[in-house]
Amino acid sequence: MTFDLISNLALGLSVALTLKNLWLCFLGCLIGTLIGVLPGVGPIATITMLLPITFGIDPVGALIMLAGIYYGAQYGGSTTAILVNIPGEATSVVTTLDGHQMAKQGRAGVALGIAAIGSFIAGCVATIIIAALAAPLTAMALLFGPADYFALMVMGLMFAVVLARGSVPKAIAIILVGILLSTVGTDLESGEERLTFGWSEISDGLDVAVLAMGLFGFAEILRNLEITQARDVVRGAIGNLLPNRKDFAQSAAPIARGTLIGSILGLLPGNGAVLGPFASYTIEKKLAEDPSRFGRGAIEGVAGPESANNAGAQTAFIPLLALGIPPNAVMALMVGAMTIHGIVPGPQIMTKQPNLFWGMIASMWIGNLMLLVINLPLIGLWVRFLKVPYRLMFPAIILLCCIGIYSINNSPVEVLMTAGFGLFGYAVVKFGFEPAPLLLGFVLGRLMEEKLRQALVISRGSFVTFIDRPLSAGLLLLALITIVLAVLPAIRKGREEVFQEAD
Amino acid sequence: MSQSPNRRPSARSAIDIAGGLFLLAIAAIGYIGGFNLPVGHLSGIGSGLLPKALAVLIAAFGILLIVQGLFGQGPTLERWAIRGPFFVLSAVVLFALTVRWGGLLIAGPLAVIMSSLGSSDTRPTEIAIFAVALTLLSGLLFKELLNLPIPFDPLGLIPNSLTQAYAGGKEGIAGFFAALKGAITR
Repeated sequence: MTFDLISNLALGLSVALTLKNLWLCFLGCLIGTLIGVLPGVGPIATITMLLPITFGIDPVGALIMLAGIYYGAQYGGSTTAILVNIPGEATSVVTTLDGHQMAKQGRAGVALGIAAIGSFIAGCVATIIIAALAAPLTAMALLFGPADYFALMVMGLMFAVVLARGSVPKAIAIILVGILLSTVGTDLESGEERLTFGWSEISDGLDVAVLAMGLFGFAEILRNLEITQARDVVRGAIGNLLPNRKDFAQSAAPIARGTLIGSILGLLPGNGAVLGPFASYTIEKKLAEDPSRFGRGAIEGVAGPESANNAGAQTAFIPLLALGIPPNAVMALMVGAMTIHGIVPGPQIMTKQPNLFWGMIASMWIGNLMLLVINLPLIGLWVRFLKVPYRLMFPAIILLCCIGIYSINNSPVEVLMTAGFGLFGYAVVKFGFEPAPLLLGFVLGRLMEEKLRQALVISRGSFVTFIDRPLSAGLLLLALITIVLAVLPAIRKGREEVFQEAD
Repeated sequence: MSQSPNRRPSARSAIDIAGGLFLLAIAAIGYIGGFNLPVGHLSGIGSGLLPKALAVLIAAFGILLIVQGLFGQGPTLERWAIRGPFFVLSAVVLFALTVRWGGLLIAGPLAVIMSSLGSSDTRPTEIAIFAVALTLLSGLLFKELLNLPIPFDPLGLIPNSLTQAYAGGKEGIAGFFAALKGAITR
């Protein structure tokens, strides 16, 4: 078992360490950070925007580069959170609390440094977890029948409901809207067009990149334009990048705890990774001798959540690689990218394309190392970049988004559709819904329908099949418990408290 | 939420009512779009079952939200901005309409300038220079370095002499690097 692990990782390293793949990994991390640093541009928008640049590359290289873009975008988001107090996405919200305070106290360098170091450690651990868990989980996946897959996805969506902010009915409703959007296009079994209203452009279904860019790219800009408050980019010196001995002593335990929490939560289907930073922050605050330091520049409040964030971002690959189920929107985009390169994510990747599978896992580790090596020296550049006023930044982001979407299929119509979804996303947020569960519903919707139909064909139309099979029954029970707990008043209060940290 | 005593607490939640109506509208579109599709039966689900079932469920949640909003308390609806969304989304539409015909050279500056009108801090000369520079830069990046098939100048607006000079310069640089590579490998 351990021997397998080592030989597999060695195979992966031999793929990832070729000069070309190293270069692609480096380039991905660099460009990912460059775009991810833009305020209000999170990993989802970054990956969508940069998807086309991987088209000319072979599948292994393209995936390595995309993974690099993903980490780069994650790290870029943290940089913006610390320096400008604008989180690129939900998971860096927590980092703004203490990270930006540290920056205001002239300790921006230390905050960025500990974020990078914590992320690196978390990334190393998460890579090993992925390598160790991938094989057994893949073996387990072969036991899954359609009914079990369906139940697993239902459970994932229930988790997403619990993890969403705001009221439970709203979260469920918006997931249903996502699933409804996933039915647009030609029905795979009967060939009938559904919900296309005779519009041939969407007979292949809606593209996840188009929806994601509208909901997360454009809608975010529209909301940023409303906020008239001046962005306070940290003036003054960034200060020393390397944390001193006291900082390290204070951060070691939070990094370890954050890594653990993030890794476990990242495994959950239904975007568990988003909870990691919140959970880590809450725990660190509870464990601290003097909780009042939190929110005023406590280094633990940066080290823990950032480690949890990165660990979760990485272990989120496991459901995708082992089961073929994307647990969140970023992974859904990865599915899109893989499909473009002719790869079908799922348990068969590991056995049929071990090069690709282990090469990508090894490159995750290398990518984390590169982030540390390229980002710390480049922080001065990112700071200067962030001082570009938003009035110039957002038109540039719009142009890059347009070019990116157009280039995916060379289709002007998709650019138009993105504008439509931008308006839709703006409305969704204005009416108090969250866009993330919608996208997850969209991503899982098609797969769920397929599995549901298969399961019912096998069982000749009897729903008993979902309770008959122990696996599916167990998963559905878990889903039920989750949702019941979420509406119980006591838990609901706790859930609100966790998210309260962000407000 | 604390209510100040002199302000009448609103007994309704506008955001929930609006959200409910929003859901009802989506449900209606979904139901109409799937109206003619067969529902099938359980052992052979038709293509129409899921869209219709989802539409009904979404409508149910919409009604629930409206009821909640009418009888419960909650935040009011946020004000919708008009200027930002209008210009930003128009910029995207403009890009989509012009990119095939005029290439990046036309669509790029149009998108940048149009979207910049969405913010009140925009300065005319600054954004004009920025639009041109950004367009040239993205042309260089996406066309030259990444070889994406996005059209750059299909109308031939850039004078021939300039494109020739550019091609010549590129060849010169490529030649220089080839010579350099030859010198190193030898």
